[in-house]
Amino acid sequence: MNCPTKQNEDAEILLDYCAQTLSPFETAEFEIHLKQCADCSRLVEAQKEVWGALDAWTPAPVSVNFDARLYARIAREQAAPAWQLWLGRIFRPPVPYPMWKSAIPLTVACALLTVGLYVRMPNATHAVQPQLHADKVDIEKVEKTLEDFDILTPPAQAPAGSM
Amino acid sequence: MPLIPAQPSANPGVKKDMEAVASLDRDAELMLRVREGDDTSFALLLERHRGPVVHFLYRMVQNPSVSEELAQEVFLRVYRSRATYEPTAKFTTWLFRIATHLALNWVRDGKKEKGHESLDEQVVDGVDRQVRDRQPTIEQEMLLEVKMTEVRQAIDALPAKQRAAVLMHKYEELEYAQIARALSCSESAVKSLLFRAYESLRSRLAHMAG
Repeated sequence: MNCPTKQNEDAEILLDYCAQTLSPFETAEFEIHLKQCADCSRLVEAQKEVWGALDAWTPAPVSVNFDARLYARIAREQAAPAWQLWLGRIFRPPVPYPMWKSAIPLTVACALLTVGLYVRMPNATHAVQPQLHADKVDIEKVEKTLEDFDILTPPAQAPAGSM
Repeated sequence: MPLIPAQPSANPGVKKDMEAVASLDRDAELMLRVREGDDTSFALLLERHRGPVVHFLYRMVQNPSVSEELAQEVFLRVYRSRATYEPTAKFTTWLFRIATHLALNWVRDGKKEKGHESLDEQVVDGVDRQVRDRQPTIEQEMLLEVKMTEVRQAIDALPAKQRAAVLMHKYEELEYAQIARALSCSESAVKSLLFRAYESLRSRLAHMAG
């Protein structure tokens, strides 16, 4: 078998062995490995010590009036108006649904819509280009015409009595 | 407390659901009865899971009054969502998912008030009471209290997700898949969390050996 201390993917076998959740066959196989591997043996001993320390921590029993308090809270909730119960269901689910999960279908829908629009109007960008080109030609023509005007127009003569 | 024998339900929808979960989960079956308005089944679920949920939350937040408050909120949420309950997974997985979510939120929001509770903890922990029953010497009692304080501190020093994973693995004996669902992560992420957590605990508690 692979050594769990050298193969990360097999590391769970150490935990399972200490938790005694391995099958009898797996346990026997791992115990054979333990006899040959000092690293694993040390790790198992350390893990067992942690396990033992954690075992010693037993919390206090639950308060005797726990159920009574809970049923009182339930009764208070049931006596509340129906609209409050509805709001509670919407805004206080047992485990809130992550908002990013609802953003995924929305993003996919937007992407599909964009692709769909592009496929539907593939020449949209080309249709604009000739217009731009025409504008460019027009501007060039106008510039050339103005230059021709400048050349053809005789320089303005100063009025006789101006000097 | 012994469970009451399952009574056949008149509702065909419930019958179908129950067939689906028959081999899966006795608790899910009880929860389906709660969905049908059977409050006795809720009392049975409460009886079965009150202790594990309160103890898990106590070890998470290390504050007895807060842990009971959070546990009440867990069962209140279970009762509140009885109408929409679907047995898609083990009941305990769902229950600990709610409990973990509440505990992680509490830890994240920084509502810790350890200073007020540290003295009380010595009195309320089960170990200390057991020790008193056996009439240990003052030295033994002090040693055990020191040991327990170190265990509590070592657990408390773990990042919240690692702590939750260790507590569910060690004390509640949940499977990797269940812990993964409770923590909303993959099974391999859970294994990695657990391995790192136990590694930290081994180094923190190494001096307690022997």
